Amino acid sequence: MNERIHNLLQYVLNKQHQQFRQNLELDVADEFSAKELSDGNRITTRFERVLAVEKAVILPGERIVCLRTVRKIPEIFTEDEWAELKKDHYLHELGRVCNISSDYETTIQLGLEARRAEAQEVLLKCQANDDQEGQEFLQNVIRTINAIEAWVDSYIEEAKKLELPEVVGILERVPRYGARTFHEALQFFRILHFALWCSGNYHNTVGRFDQYMYPYLKSDLEAGRLDEDSAFELLEEFFISFSKDSDLYPGMQQGDNGQSLVLGGVDSDGNNVYNLLSEMCLKASLELKLIDPKINLRVDKSTPLAVYQLGTQLTKQGLGFPQYSNDDVVIPGLIAKGYALEDARNYVVAACWEFIIPKVGMDIPNIGALSYAKVVDRCLHRNLSESKDFSEFMATINQEIAAEVETMIAVFKNLYMEPSPIQSILMEGCIPQARDISKGSKYNNFGLHGTGIATAADSLAVIKKYVYETKTITSAQLIAAVDDNFEGHEQLQAELKYNQNKMGNDDDYVDEIACNLMTMFADALENKITEKGGIYRGGTGSAMYYIRHIQEIGASPDGRKKGEPLAANYSPGLNTRVNGPVSIIKSFSKPDLKRVINGGPLTLELHDTVFRNEEAIQKVALLVKSFMDMGGHQLQLNSVNRETLLDAQQNPDQYRNLIVRVWGWSGYFVELDREYQDHIIQRLELAI
Amino acid sequence: MANGIIFDIEEFAIHDGPGIRKTIFLKGCPLRCNWCHNPEGMSFDRELLVSPNGCTHCGACQKVCPNPQQCNACGACLMLCPLRLRKICGRMTTTDELAKELLKDYEFLTETGGGITLSGGEPLAQPDFLMELVPKLKPFHVALETSGYASQEIFQKAIDLVDLVLMDVKHTDPEMHRKYTGVDNQIILENLKYLCNSGQKFIIRIPVIPGVNDTPANFEKVAQLIQHSKGLERLELLPYHKTAGAKYSMIGQEYNPSFNPNQEPFLDLGMFQKYGIGSVVL
Repeated sequence: MNERIHNLLQYVLNKQHQQFRQNLELDVADEFSAKELSDGNRITTRFERVLAVEKAVILPGERIVCLRTVRKIPEIFTEDEWAELKKDHYLHELGRVCNISSDYETTIQLGLEARRAEAQEVLLKCQANDDQEGQEFLQNVIRTINAIEAWVDSYIEEAKKLELPEVVGILERVPRYGARTFHEALQFFRILHFALWCSGNYHNTVGRFDQYMYPYLKSDLEAGRLDEDSAFELLEEFFISFSKDSDLYPGMQQGDNGQSLVLGGVDSDGNNVYNLLSEMCLKASLELKLIDPKINLRVDKSTPLAVYQLGTQLTKQGLGFPQYSNDDVVIPGLIAKGYALEDARNYVVAACWEFIIPKVGMDIPNIGALSYAKVVDRCLHRNLSESKDFSEFMATINQEIAAEVETMIAVFKNLYMEPSPIQSILMEGCIPQARDISKGSKYNNFGLHGTGIATAADSLAVIKKYVYETKTITSAQLIAAVDDNFEGHEQLQAELKYNQNKMGNDDDYVDEIACNLMTMFADALENKITEKGGIYRGGTGSAMYYIRHIQEIGASPDGRKKGEPLAANYSPGLNTRVNGPVSIIKSFSKPDLKRVINGGPLTLELHDTVFRNEEAIQKVALLVKSFMDMGGHQLQLNSVNRETLLDAQQNPDQYRNLIVRVWGWSGYFVELDREYQDHIIQRLELAI
Repeated sequence: MANGIIFDIEEFAIHDGPGIRKTIFLKGCPLRCNWCHNPEGMSFDRELLVSPNGCTHCGACQKVCPNPQQCNACGACLMLCPLRLRKICGRMTTTDELAKELLKDYEFLTETGGGITLSGGEPLAQPDFLMELVPKLKPFHVALETSGYASQEIFQKAIDLVDLVLMDVKHTDPEMHRKYTGVDNQIILENLKYLCNSGQKFIIRIPVIPGVNDTPANFEKVAQLIQHSKGLERLELLPYHKTAGAKYSMIGQEYNPSFNPNQEPFLDLGMFQKYGIGSVVL
């Protein structure tokens, strides 16, 4: 990286840009309530207010501008109004449009003025048809565009004052008019992304950046406006921009901000489209070592090992990405769930790992989660003593999964979601149809995670072996031991905990049980329809549910004591001493992952000394490629060192930039809550 | 059928030959290298391995012990330890059983350009087992990692069977070799000479021990011995690592290296480059 980028990076890492944050409290809810404004008008007015007080700040040396100075986006409803709303509505998280993949491409290409013209044209039709809802929506779209342009004008003034003719020139072009160069396109993206966050939308993903930005890069290179070095410099500056405001973004933990970027994959005809920009993104991330943007790499059978090797170099940095997803499994899986071929081929990764469709997907891929371990716990207590054999017991598990799914999805009724004119500008079809994106899009599916698959499978293997096959323990003894949290049953606990039939050991005995559980989950979701007419997708992720679900159960038959965590995502149990990573990838590629294609990676922790030299990196890359070739769907690999983390807990000041992977995102270790820190450390005891 | 004893199988071995490999550690070794990091691989017998971490001293293991004076690795205590900190190191196996188990991974390992590496201990110290096992491992790519301390007959027969030999040259000086490994190096150097002339593919490895063999003079002698060998793939320096002592306490021994383990080893590849030998530090 050159000196300018180095300085900018240090400036942001040292949080010097935060000095420009304003100490003002915007409060709008009471006023909105008094005026009885509609939801759409509230959102739009709030957006106008926020941008009106935003201050133009250009950091030293910047060529791609925009900095948040308003700390908090105010609520549009009063507390009473929220309470009223929640009475008869289901709210997903904050009740806002989030975690979808915007169509930045069209607007960057056309410019906001062209989008305004479109909106005005449709508005005339709405007026002719007396479509009140459509009129209000389109007026809000136009007001939103006005607010963005006025705010950008304040940056033009600032750039003039600072005598930055290049910045002035670019901002006079974008966002009003379509981008012509790579630089303009990057600046345009930054403005749109910024506007999304200022509108209260969150988990604003980046999508297939290497695809929609490549034409600009290509034409600049061909015309000689840029060479690869100057393009790389711009890309690095652009990447740094993702870390300028990220501490202000809403998320479960610092770092959980959804700025996922997807590289590679295929086009609508199925041709692999990994390109120069894909490679430049991997290299920029490698050099900057920032947790944002979070890199996802789409691979398939034709992906050359060199791509995996570059990815492994990135893993070696300890950033917790790239996360790999396998087109050969994901695309057919999505098609089987009803997605059109060209949409499935265009899939991206949401905030963590959920597979979603850019431009036309309004899926909520993380609306809930099935706890496999809870299902086992219930059946253990209710059905085990009456089940004659293991298959009879598994039939009760099957019924319980189906019942649990029914109970879970019964809650997702009468969903409320705040409108979002800005996100609607960025989603296909909203302006032409004069409808806000919160009302839905082409795909309105719901996704459910599945937590604790290994704990459940390991527990069922114990039941199969000890209760039904060797008959060394009775069902009553097992239940008593679990209920006593294994206190007074230490011998039995050790036997159950350290027996070899554990998922992750390439042991068919237990892996078959895991396969069955996942099939049961997929079956239970078949033909279930959401209130928006969408389907349900089961998955292999956990998100933060692995922490929550543990509070709902006691000890489990696999020897896990009460309170000891479940594994995050799709991974071996935390007390499993596995044979090694080869066994893990073999175990975890056995299930039919196409059927549980909501997303959720196999997570592998390799000790950082494994990445010793180029040869070793090539072999780790081979391991990743092997998982994909065997039918794995998604993989996320960490280079870790437990001793370092323990030391960081003791001396946080010395480890401010230490990055770890949490559940679907990377964060700074010392900024995580202790609970998550401890979980990661425990996970690393199994590092190979 | 020949029986053998192994003490470990390492999945995802990535420093023991090409591709991703599985390394099988045969138990028992005639050498007593002062820096050995696998002390449980020295004895040819099964032995008790106790991990000290987390032991609550509950006493369950002692109560059941039938031979408190002299452990004979009977295993009575293993399952009584609530934390499973005790295990028997050393698994008796047959060539059929082991080959069958390993062939399960044939496709995976072969697709990565890898295979099986037979290491130890000293694999040539179980010659009947080894010679019977290798043919059963075909069509795997099989590598043999050896100290070269074996009779010429065994050595020559073994290297003929495998696809690649990884051979240690711990020291070129007979006196130093005796002092630090407990055995003479004459037979090793003779076997090395045979290997160099055999046309077999091989890699030479020097475990680089600070103050013992990390001198330009020793490196130069090694280089002179192996230069011009047709089958030489490259030379690898394996730097001594301080964690080498980690497992001694598990077998009830103390780790007392007679060199300074805190000294940084000399890892200069210049000497090998001078002799036109491809070399790498692992």
